[in-house]
Amino acid sequence: MSLHNQDDPALRAAQEERLRAVWAPPKGLFLRWTDCNNNRVGVWYVLTAFAFMLFAGVLALIMRTQLAVPDNDLVSAGTFNQLFTLHGSMMMFLFAVPMFEAVSIILLPQLLGARDLPFPRLSAFGYWSFLLGGVFVGGSIFFNAAPDGGWFMYPPLTTRTDLSGLGADIWMLGLSFIEVSSVAAAVELIVGVLKCRPPGMRLNLMPLYAWYILVVAVMILFAFPPLIAGDILFEMERLLNWPFFDASRGGDPLLWQHLFWIFGHPEVYIVFLPSIALFAMLVPTFSNRHLLGYPWIVLAAVGTAFLSFGLWVHHMFTTGLPKISLAFFSAASEAVAIPTAVQIFAFIATLWAGRVTWSTPLLYATGSLAIFVIGGLTGVMVAVAPFDWQAHDTYFIVAHLHYVLIGGTLLPLFAGLYYYWPLITGKKLSDRLGRIAFWMLFVGANITFFPMHFSGLMGMPRRVFTYPEELGLGGLNMASTIGAWLFAAGVAVICIDLALSPRRSKAQRNPWGAGTLEWLAHPDDEDWGIRSVPLIESRYPIWDQKDFVKKVDEGRFFLPDAEEGRRETIVTTVLDARPLAVIRLGTPSVIPMLTAIALGGVFILTTYHFYWAALACAVATLACSIWWLWTGTAEIPEKPCKPIGHGMDLPLYMSGPAAPGWWAMFITMMADATAFSGLVFGYYFFWTRHADFPPMAMADGPGVYWPMVALALGGASWLATIAAREVHARGGVGIARLLLVMGIAASLAGIGTGLVGPWTHGMDPESHSYPAIVWTLVIWTVAHAGFAAIMQSYALARSMAGKMNPQHDADIRNVTVYMHFFALTAVVAYATIGLFPVLS
Amino acid sequence: MARMLLLTMLVAALTGCNAEQSTLEVFGADARAIRHIAIILTSGAVIILAITVALYVRAVRAPEHSLNHEQGMRMILWVGAIGPTLILTALLLYALPAMRPRPADPGDLVIRVEGEQFWWRVAYWPSDNAPPLSSANEIRVPVGRTVVFELMAKDVIHSFWIPGLAGKMDMIPGRTNRLVVKAEKPGRYRGVCAEFCGLSHALMAFDVIAMEPAAFDTWLADARAITPLPAIATPGRALFDVQGCGACHTIRGTPHAGTIGPDLSRFGERMTLGAGILPPAIDNIAAFIRTPQQVKPGVRMPAYPQLSQEDASAIAHYLKGMK
Amino acid sequence: MKDRRPHWSERLKVTLWTLIVPPTIWTGHFLFSYLWASISCAKAGQFATFPTLFVVGTVLALILIALSGWIAWNQGRMPGGSTPHEDSTEIDRLRFLAKSTLLLAGLSFVAVLFTALPVIYLRDCL
Repeated sequence: MSLHNQDDPALRAAQEERLRAVWAPPKGLFLRWTDCNNNRVGVWYVLTAFAFMLFAGVLALIMRTQLAVPDNDLVSAGTFNQLFTLHGSMMMFLFAVPMFEAVSIILLPQLLGARDLPFPRLSAFGYWSFLLGGVFVGGSIFFNAAPDGGWFMYPPLTTRTDLSGLGADIWMLGLSFIEVSSVAAAVELIVGVLKCRPPGMRLNLMPLYAWYILVVAVMILFAFPPLIAGDILFEMERLLNWPFFDASRGGDPLLWQHLFWIFGHPEVYIVFLPSIALFAMLVPTFSNRHLLGYPWIVLAAVGTAFLSFGLWVHHMFTTGLPKISLAFFSAASEAVAIPTAVQIFAFIATLWAGRVTWSTPLLYATGSLAIFVIGGLTGVMVAVAPFDWQAHDTYFIVAHLHYVLIGGTLLPLFAGLYYYWPLITGKKLSDRLGRIAFWMLFVGANITFFPMHFSGLMGMPRRVFTYPEELGLGGLNMASTIGAWLFAAGVAVICIDLALSPRRSKAQRNPWGAGTLEWLAHPDDEDWGIRSVPLIESRYPIWDQKDFVKKVDEGRFFLPDAEEGRRETIVTTVLDARPLAVIRLGTPSVIPMLTAIALGGVFILTTYHFYWAALACAVATLACSIWWLWTGTAEIPEKPCKPIGHGMDLPLYMSGPAAPGWWAMFITMMADATAFSGLVFGYYFFWTRHADFPPMAMADGPGVYWPMVALALGGASWLATIAAREVHARGGVGIARLLLVMGIAASLAGIGTGLVGPWTHGMDPESHSYPAIVWTLVIWTVAHAGFAAIMQSYALARSMAGKMNPQHDADIRNVTVYMHFFALTAVVAYATIGLFPVLS
Repeated sequence: MARMLLLTMLVAALTGCNAEQSTLEVFGADARAIRHIAIILTSGAVIILAITVALYVRAVRAPEHSLNHEQGMRMILWVGAIGPTLILTALLLYALPAMRPRPADPGDLVIRVEGEQFWWRVAYWPSDNAPPLSSANEIRVPVGRTVVFELMAKDVIHSFWIPGLAGKMDMIPGRTNRLVVKAEKPGRYRGVCAEFCGLSHALMAFDVIAMEPAAFDTWLADARAITPLPAIATPGRALFDVQGCGACHTIRGTPHAGTIGPDLSRFGERMTLGAGILPPAIDNIAAFIRTPQQVKPGVRMPAYPQLSQEDASAIAHYLKGMK
Repeated sequence: MKDRRPHWSERLKVTLWTLIVPPTIWTGHFLFSYLWASISCAKAGQFATFPTLFVVGTVLALILIALSGWIAWNQGRMPGGSTPHEDSTEIDRLRFLAKSTLLLAGLSFVAVLFTALPVIYLRDCL
């Protein structure tokens, strides 16, 4: 097919008809919810996160009203504690992080000129998990059962079942469920950015939003798993009485604080960077020029991501750790301000160099920068440990974190809302209402939070449901309350603006005159995403490439058709975006929703101690996942290659490191390994806490013999799988199957032998933190051995069913990736529990 | 400095007087040093904010091409990267030495404080090897001497914070944290729990009395001298016995030696009731005895609604009488 | 000069993985510092044991970061393309990665120095 062909309007119409049919959303009262197209799932996701934000905002209003005057009794202490716990938890876990994922699910394919993200069904699964978990956690307050231990849930207040109720379990299990969906989204977004860019979009031409999303998604991969590890230990203590945080049995409450803040501090940047990413898109548009300092922005994003993992102890400055430890973290906390300053001045320089068009989105961006800079500066202040010893856990911190989050997350999102609303609905929001709302929000935020700097320094601690009149804090608190209501009214004006939108007429295409790819979107948008996948030669192709929009619309670029009636997108190389293959995307299906429901059942039923039902749900989850993989992945295409235009033929099947599926497995396993390292950290943390570890009474731990046997079996299983992959690739299908069977046997034997060590040495996990952490490591490892057996069986079954052959071997290659990580897990776990007691 | 003081005064004028529990009204050497740091930091922050806003406004108003590519890159390099790096380096060099803990001698007074839901167990350990003096919800410190706080917790995490004296320090089960302080100005102040510790976290405070050294020594000697109370059976004392209050509370000089609740010896000289939340008036004490949950939700003391108002007042009189 | 074989620092191509080398070295140094201090405090009771170890580790980290920065700088100077280097060419992509790596090396260098500073002032476990 050449350029010439696309001159024929009849051909174009026929192509459009085929594309429309392929991308048509499912219809019907129920079936419409089985959709997985990024446009639709993204919008559900955004709306749900927005609703959770409004809900959490109402909780804050109740709190502010309670605190308006001293010694108030509008709500009881118990209710108040639920309010602030849920407000913080929902804003972080159910609004800020999911909102960034939701916005990215909508925007990323547009920005990358892709038809959809590489794993649309995974997006749908993430959404349904998020909805279920969010309703479960948020709804608990109507039953007076909401978590009430503060959003960082410090044990032992929260682990002692006599001091805390069901709420703690709801927090841990409900939010763990949501963490799973966040990791799923991270996988999706990383693979999307690395592998699904349009041809020609080399790394140096990627929209900055994509850079930020890549960085943030990688951060999620390393930040959320330590919290998942913490959640595991936490629930082991609550449900099984294993004393990880109980000081009287060798545990230590600080272990939780470490694990929580290793998650918790990067989390701040996880919700901040995507908002800055929105700035990086709209500042060039309203400056009418390219952004200055592109590599500087990338430096800032990557640098912030790294440094943000060296800050966690600055939340623990008052825990009595050695001052030298605090000082390291204080230093890193200062250093992280450097990349932040770089970003802000890159924007300022761009505005300076360009011709500024004043607009509502830019107004929001300006206001949020002002607020954020104040929050950032108070952040530098609290990074100075001595100042933090006074400010920590007071309203000064409340002021600081709200300046950061309102200036760094909420207002930028509103800027993005006004900026991208035309992209999604084809209509502009009202400039007048937008400006009114902006001033209410801006003034309201400052009236609410600026006085809190003073109430904090004047001695008002956080998380108090009331305060005595004698402290003289009444005036400041009244101001904060008035500001909060003003702020809420501003949000209400935005909601009115949104509600009026359906009555307005469509705006023109690309109403802001932007230069980036996402603005190809047409007001009367089609579900196919992009008419043809363009060849990119500039960071701002709409501005710089000649006749760009017209060429895209007329299908003059790549993949303008869907001849085989399949949903497709192009896969390219990581560095230079050279076209590699065409992949077939997942279509609407009920499987993601069913999997989410089954997985939700595991978490929710465990909360109520219905263990058998939870186990049944776990089996159902596994069954759904296998069904999903079996019917939806690594499909052998009907022909090896297909033309995508311009005389280019691309393969339809890929395996190994070039394939998105391989990357998804690799990335998921990185998260898995990080969670495991959290548990291993627990082991060595206990070692530093005790003069004799293992304790004298169980000096030889689980022994050396059985852990080493289990390790040998794990290694054998790993080698068998690698051998199977290699033999299989060379055509030895029969031998490969035999090797897989041997691998399965070794994996299964590894489960038994792994458990024998601690079992025969009579290690009682309830007695002390040492046996408890040993059992945890062992259970983690043998569970992975179990999964290894399942995966090896899956590859075997695929081979037997004719769905895998030497030319189409993605399954066994992906299983091998898993096995590498499994082998690493086994080495670390068994060396730690078996050999370390001998060495130390 | 002047700006900060002005601001402080302005805030004080707006909000009424708050001399008791503020990091701005200091009576200790450490809090004073931190206040000084805070003033420096705030001034720096205000200047940086002003510069940033000015540059932003200038940037938005500047006509197109008033900055070319090279100039823009230089701006990012110098204003965005090198400038902040230099400022932060200076800040770090200034702030790190301030982290050094105050040195303590073995001879310094040790006060051990344990956080409980929702009160403070206090024990004075002078260096003379005599048995410690136990107390609750009130801490007295000598002015001009170094005092070592040993901070612990039994149930959950609390945080020990006397804003006018020094920064806060957490009390964590299984750990003993040290906080070394030096009071500089006599007076009555307030401390508070700064880490969320459960239902009545907001109602967990204590009084701090900084005394001249001589007065402190006299007070300590008096308090440690065990004077058996005369065996006069006041109604309140009898009720205290009969109701079994001694199972949880200690009153030195009597058989009551319970350690579950606060030590009530010399209760009469305490300045507040219920861990710093109420004036120790007879009515308040009586109400606390009869319905503690209404005064302080989540408190572990059982309610005594069966006691009549008169009986509860009698116990209150008895407690108030112990000085 | 025409037939000069490219210097090894020019042949070693920057990629997405080399981009994160400098901050990864910072991460290693940071963890090393933190673990060194906290383990010697917890196990030996005093922290300023093995100060030589700390100095060697810090100098090593600084040298490695400087080295990766130097390699990136060398690569960024390769001829070809015109400013502002934002075209869809191999050389501009290389320049971009080199420039970003160089900047990250600068930030990592400062961050390692920041991490090392506390040891000058604080030498005990209190």
